[in-house]
Amino acid sequence: MSAYPSIKTVEEFRQQPEEYQTAVRKIVRSHALNELYGAQVFDEPAIGLAPTPYAKWLTCRVAMEEYHHHVRFRELADQIGVRAEEMDARNKRPLNIFEVPLESWEQFCVIKMLGDLAEILQVEDLLHCSFVPLRNIARTTMPEEKFHAQFGLDFCVDLVETEQGRARVQKAVNGFYPEVPKFFGASGSRNNQLYRQFGIKLRSNEEMRADYMARARSTVEPLGITLPA
Amino acid sequence: MKEAWFSALGEPLGEHERSEIAAYLAGLGMDAAMPVREALSWKEADELCRMQSDDWWRAEEEERARLERGARLDPADPEWLALNDELHGAAAVAAARAGCADAALIRVAAGAASHAAYQARLARAAGAASGHPFLRKYGLYCGGRWPLGIYDQSFAIF
Repeated sequence: MSAYPSIKTVEEFRQQPEEYQTAVRKIVRSHALNELYGAQVFDEPAIGLAPTPYAKWLTCRVAMEEYHHHVRFRELADQIGVRAEEMDARNKRPLNIFEVPLESWEQFCVIKMLGDLAEILQVEDLLHCSFVPLRNIARTTMPEEKFHAQFGLDFCVDLVETEQGRARVQKAVNGFYPEVPKFFGASGSRNNQLYRQFGIKLRSNEEMRADYMARARSTVEPLGITLPA
Repeated sequence: MKEAWFSALGEPLGEHERSEIAAYLAGLGMDAAMPVREALSWKEADELCRMQSDDWWRAEEEERARLERGARLDPADPEWLALNDELHGAAAVAAARAGCADAALIRVAAGAASHAAYQARLARAAGAASGHPFLRKYGLYCGGRWPLGIYDQSFAIF
């Protein structure tokens, strides 16, 4: 683990080497945009696809939590000098997983179960981040991220009770899962090396990807669902 | 004035609330005289809203779509997010008082109130009159109720 000291405030942050500041800005911007894309592309449209008021209102609440995560990261981004145009979703192409078109309730449940699991891993890696304001946002959002993944799993458990439902969940997993491992970035990434050197993140992209794939497998297998190769 | 979020759940309805429900239903083009079912517990509310209520939801969505042609709200507005946190906190307190520790159901209640709050803000932003059905429904939430929807030809409220 890196011995980089804890940077407790934005004022201390501004006294760090430019390379450290740039690295933190990249991560904060990425989280802010991912939370926004997720809410806009998946959570809000899913309200209309949910089958009952229970599921619709729960999805409403989840959408609000995702927007709130976006705002927390965006506020920090503003404080640490991320330029406004870099935070504009229109100027930054979304990650591949946000380009999967949402077409069914089953698909949304799978996205929460497997997509939010990927987000959990990303946030886990920030729980001991050297930049304390970012660490605190990670710790604040983590319980809600865990709830969102559990939400997806719980609904998938209900869906796979019928053969038809299981087939629809399997189809959604087949369509979505292949995109997720790319979410962890390139192997041998120079950025990731810097993140670890500065104590911003703990693990390499390869380690996180392997952990994700193992956890995704252990999540879906009890449902009688398999991950595509 | 501070609202009474979720503080009258399971209490008998008053005449004013009954007339607000009738006016809300009429405003949505639904049967204002349909029976009103009063849910008495979180468990009953949970069971009811797990049933489908497609006609009711569709009627509200059509009105929302109509209003959104004239007004848009920012879902990431900090003041709006603060209200949502307040609603979630109030739902959690009300559930705890009633011995309910179901984190998902508490979020369902909070999400329902957020949805109603969004509809009411949208109606105001679009310049709707004070008797607009979304404002009437939101008024029921402000008074501590949780309107649950229409199930088996009855309007359910907790």
